[in-house]
Amino acid sequence: MSESVAVPSLSGTQEAILAAYAELIEELGSDDVSYRVIARRAGIAERTVFRNYPTRVDLLLATSAWIEATLFAREESHSIFDLPLAIREAMQRYDERPELAHVVAETAMRGVNGAAPSPGRAQLERLLDAEVPSLDPAQRRAVVAALSHLDSVGTWVTFRREFGMDRRDIADAAAWAAEAVLDRLRDRTTPA
Amino acid sequence: MEEPVDTATAILASAAVLLRERTFDDISYRALADEVGISERTIYRQYPTRAHLLAALSNWIEQTRFPLPPFVTVSDFRAAVHERFRAFDASPAYAYVGARASAISPTLDTEPAHITRAIEAMLDVAAPTLNRRDRRRVAAALRYFSSAMFWARLRTGFDLDADEICDAFDRAVDTVLTRVPETTRAEP
Repeated sequence: MSESVAVPSLSGTQEAILAAYAELIEELGSDDVSYRVIARRAGIAERTVFRNYPTRVDLLLATSAWIEATLFAREESHSIFDLPLAIREAMQRYDERPELAHVVAETAMRGVNGAAPSPGRAQLERLLDAEVPSLDPAQRRAVVAALSHLDSVGTWVTFRREFGMDRRDIADAAAWAAEAVLDRLRDRTTPA
Repeated sequence: MEEPVDTATAILASAAVLLRERTFDDISYRALADEVGISERTIYRQYPTRAHLLAALSNWIEQTRFPLPPFVTVSDFRAAVHERFRAFDASPAYAYVGARASAISPTLDTEPAHITRAIEAMLDVAAPTLNRRDRRRVAAALRYFSSAMFWARLRTGFDLDADEICDAFDRAVDTVLTRVPETTRAEP
């Protein structure tokens, strides 16, 4: 399976820690999970958790990256015009794991202390350049920015919180907005 | 001593002061209690978890630092959002708190943000006969492109400044509004 987010290689212990923490977040919420509880769930010593993840920010960033790369992993798109479909599917996956989706969204929005907010950007640029090479730099930047914003868990959070949408409506509205961005490019593709 | 303001607000004002020199994660309840001159327990009583504190702090910053200019027309909306993005750029630490708070699992039954209602009202005026489904999709997309999240993503992930972010926002608004059929629009 190809993954759009690169996961740094993890030791078995690290994987056990991150999986245990993700489980506990779903059961308890992200605020109340102590290192002691994580260690017990992972079946290791609390000291080992601290050695691998000295601060809560370290632990959270690693967990968020792990969640994106495993639980929210997706097939790589082969065309920029596949993106609405990929977004639709991603929104449905977020909706199945709401607590984890919030954690990933929040971690990406922390500024300098956060995860990369647009991990799929390089792939979007590659697809766009291959299929729609005629954009000027400002257009290209705006298209990549809009698509990478829509193809993120923040969309699910915002549409759900601000508009009370259910899974189906979120997937529909997000894919629709991506289509709106792509529609303007359809007549600019390279001749086959 | 000055006239005591209410404790909840005093805590938020002090947290905002501390944000100038450290990130939200590095503001401990202990340090916050010292700054306000109250006990740590009083802070826990007001804000039982850090998520509660973050959400309240974000609301307070939003109201005091980033008041939303009123808008009725689409062009006023664009101008209002440009003004916000510029204000975010001038106080990034505060803006990241807002972006982050809007992504956390809600701590209480939260009301939709004021800007969401304003966007819906704007669409009712600009495209009065637009069907409900499209109106909701247009409003949701406009809301999301005008959010602190969009600013934060473009600043951190794309290294853009406020002018470039405003440009990307304008283009996104154009692509969304192109989907609103002419026939549903109000007569000019």
